Amino acid sequence: MIEFKNVNKWFDKLHVLNDINLKIPKGEVLVICGPSGSGKSTLIRCINRLEKIQQGQIIVNDTPVHDKSTNLTKLRAEIGFVFQQFHLYPHMTVLQNVMLAPVNVKKLPKAKAEKIALEKLEQVGLTEKSAAYPAQLSGGQQQRVAIARGLVMSPEIMLFDEPTSALDPEMIGEVLDVMVNLVSEGMTMCVVTHEMGFAKKVADRVLFMDEGKIVEIGNPTDFFDNPQTDRAAEFISKILTH
Amino acid sequence: MISFYFGRLMEIFPFFLKGLWMTSKIAFISLVTCTLIGFILGIFRSSDSTILKRVVGVYVAFVRGTPFVVQIFIVFFILPEWGIQLDAFTAALLAMAIMGSAFICEIVAGGINSIPRGQWEAATSSGLNGIQKLRLVIIPQAMKVILPPLVGQYVLLIKDTSVVSVIGIMELTRVGWVTVVRIPEGLMVFTLVGFLYFIISYPLILLSNYLEKRMAA
Repeated sequence: MIEFKNVNKWFDKLHVLNDINLKIPKGEVLVICGPSGSGKSTLIRCINRLEKIQQGQIIVNDTPVHDKSTNLTKLRAEIGFVFQQFHLYPHMTVLQNVMLAPVNVKKLPKAKAEKIALEKLEQVGLTEKSAAYPAQLSGGQQQRVAIARGLVMSPEIMLFDEPTSALDPEMIGEVLDVMVNLVSEGMTMCVVTHEMGFAKKVADRVLFMDEGKIVEIGNPTDFFDNPQTDRAAEFISKILTH
Repeated sequence: MISFYFGRLMEIFPFFLKGLWMTSKIAFISLVTCTLIGFILGIFRSSDSTILKRVVGVYVAFVRGTPFVVQIFIVFFILPEWGIQLDAFTAALLAMAIMGSAFICEIVAGGINSIPRGQWEAATSSGLNGIQKLRLVIIPQAMKVILPPLVGQYVLLIKDTSVVSVIGIMELTRVGWVTVVRIPEGLMVFTLVGFLYFIISYPLILLSNYLEKRMAA
């Protein structure tokens, strides 16, 4: 479903992705963790080409993402992306935020788009906020709207870039609950997060990155209880004690 | 004495209204064209394309770094030497469009650049194309930043139309000059000229102040 083949990327001289090879099968939940600056956000941002790569190939559903001829609109419609800082459109209501892509990218009639958008808002438990503006919502609610905005295009893949890192502790749970529900629907998910509870509960594999390299990848129990490298062990002890 | 002044005023007033009409016409057409061109250039200037950015940057720097009078002279007197013959009215509009669009370009680019990168990325991730991103997500938010200085710029552009009098267009300022050679009441003449400019500028000044307050909220 998603495949990285010898992917390299540099920000000027910084080698931010160093020879990445990775296969993510359909329906897998992959949790990506690592210290800041390790390249984990960049890794998932390359999947829908928010970032360009200099070497190698990324293939999503048989489509080479970084080919010039690739239809990016179609590709991006199949991939939902959730940001750390939500990035809702502040000048639109919650419903307008969620409807924007179906109306303008899929060219659905307004009534149909609204129906689908309301379904997705119900899924994240925010139907009653559909007329509100993002600024009137809590951080947790905003992030749930952002998830609905990603889901509304019926993507096969959802990418999450530290979805709970900007939230107050008491709001993290509501966002993680929504994400856990997605897992039960069989969504393919790549989640950059340090929420170890989430990783243990739903992840099929955990990927640990450092300095642009994949240091370890394996099932969550093995990774947390029995890390293979010192670097991973050190990292785990730090996030557990923090 | 006062009735004498009043009589003179009545005599010259129709002439001034004609000047006011010409000034308004030039101002209105210029504001529309400057806004259109200014927005397009501003979008180029804030784009990711280094070439577009540089080309527009050079244009803006040149226009902002030279006096408007000189620009008018170039358009009206120098272009004909290269075979582009323009009547005074067209030359005035062209010079206004060149000058005004450069200033509006900077205002628009500033507004667009004030929108956080994340808004672009969210719109990109949803599959919106470049024009949709600008039209639906970026420009509506940037308008908050753009509108107050834009209206302020309109006031400046209206006043700058007085400069086109140098190529003989009978707008308000030129009417003042022509009148003052014929009658001795120079103070009255230019007070009237100033007052008529003020009448069209002041509503825009109020609008700009209002927008500034509203957009800040």
